Amino acid sequence: MAALVLPAGVLVLLLLVAPMLLLFRISLNEFSPTQMMVEATTAANYFRAVQDPYYRQVLVTTLAVATGSTLLTLGLGFPTAYWLARMQGRWKSFATIVVMFPLLVGNVVRAAGWLALLGNGGAINAALLGLGVNAAPLPLLYNTGAVVAGIVAVVLPYMILTLSAVIEGIPRQAEEAASNLGASPLTVFRRVVLPLALPGVIAGSVLVFVLCMNTYASAVLLGGPQFKMMAPAVYDQFVRGNNWPFGAALAFILLGFTLVLTVVGSAVLGRCYRR
Amino acid sequence: MTLPSPGRVAFAALVGAAFTLILAPVVMVMVISIFRQEIVSFPPEGLTLDWYVNAWERQEFARGFITSLQVALLATLVGVPFGTAAAFALVRAKPRGGGALNTLLLGPLAVPGVVAGTALYMFYLRAEFWLDRDITSTLEGLVAAHVLLTIPWTVRLVTASLQGMDQAAEEAAANLGARPFTVFRRVTLPAMRPGIIAACLFSFIQSFENLELSLLLVGPGRTTLPVAMLNYLEFRVDPTLAAVATVQILLVAVLMLVTDRFVSIARTV
Repeated sequence: MAALVLPAGVLVLLLLVAPMLLLFRISLNEFSPTQMMVEATTAANYFRAVQDPYYRQVLVTTLAVATGSTLLTLGLGFPTAYWLARMQGRWKSFATIVVMFPLLVGNVVRAAGWLALLGNGGAINAALLGLGVNAAPLPLLYNTGAVVAGIVAVVLPYMILTLSAVIEGIPRQAEEAASNLGASPLTVFRRVVLPLALPGVIAGSVLVFVLCMNTYASAVLLGGPQFKMMAPAVYDQFVRGNNWPFGAALAFILLGFTLVLTVVGSAVLGRCYRR
Repeated sequence: MTLPSPGRVAFAALVGAAFTLILAPVVMVMVISIFRQEIVSFPPEGLTLDWYVNAWERQEFARGFITSLQVALLATLVGVPFGTAAAFALVRAKPRGGGALNTLLLGPLAVPGVVAGTALYMFYLRAEFWLDRDITSTLEGLVAAHVLLTIPWTVRLVTASLQGMDQAAEEAAANLGARPFTVFRRVTLPAMRPGIIAACLFSFIQSFENLELSLLLVGPGRTTLPVAMLNYLEFRVDPTLAAVATVQILLVAVLMLVTDRFVSIARTV
């Protein structure tokens, strides 16, 4: 029966592991403007990526935006997931669909929605001008805030669905018992709900952090030309720059930071509450 | 958790903010799809349905929609059975090195789509050279890439449904004389059903809306809907895209409400 793992395992080996090994090999090659790629074994591409101030800035921006967005998503997602998990009947079904269906709409469409909402002639600025709050439109678009709003809107459903599945498994009696014994709502949350929901918090945060590190559409469409994150930078190297070795090195730096931070992050979160 | 009133207000505010963030852009797209002016600005100069006609006449969106639908259906059809079989074997047979296998199968979730996408692109180019046939910008190439999305989601969701299951029911059926296959068909499979349905739903969603993995693998005449939309949006923001999106939003909403009639979506996730 263990053989049933094989088909899926072989597919992932062939379609993920083998391509990743090839990409790693390419990252050790040299770029030549005339021949595009020259066989070599050098770490020069990695050194260039971390030494070049431009790419260092891109990496720092990506890490800051991804971390901030993940924390914000957790802060908004937890109460919503709790609310959803404790709901009953038909409305719960409806609320779940409302949370889930923007996922199918895709992040490009939602970026278009943000453009219409935040632009100079957008709904928010039109409302503020119409009410006489502002004399000139606020620059709401093409900055870090707009990108973070776009990202959080995209990843929130994943966080909410992951968390609410875990919170549903927490018996209400546990909360009621703590509260009957005199715990304040905040204490009940901190000492009962949060520790029991921790596996969900870790799973949701890891999933969301990976998605944030991967941000493409929100960064390109809402951040404007000056705003650079790793995912568009990697693609630029392959599509516009044709510098495959450097692009491959950037991709591995992105992957390395994502893996290390998710592993360290889950370990720290896990330790905080294992008491 | 009975909260005192300032806490209750803060709680409600956070839930409200979450729903606003999720829904505002979607609602806004539907609103601007009927604005008359080409450059989106509020308030509208008038209302029109012309953008829907324009969207229909632009082949790229209709073709992108069909490609996305094909890719998502095929990737779900391949990934869900394979992923389900793997999850079943991992939970029940507990093979040696099961933990490592589980990590391998969930691996695609931990790798940013951009990284996996560029790796696959390089891999496809190499394979094209060896096999002397096209793989990038073909349907097969896209489906193979999207199977990488459907397998981990299936393994994750089906494993969860199997772990929550009480094996005593299977033993009882076997003790009452049911053959192993009958036990599987009548007891185990029904217990896995919610997990499998959730896996189909999430696999389809993941594939249909995927942008990052597909960006380098699409080609002229074979573009998925999200990539077609991104290309359009990088050059102009007129309500045509909003019209396409609105049609998509309404289709998706109807699809989900109909699905919910047959299987409670709230219970599958």
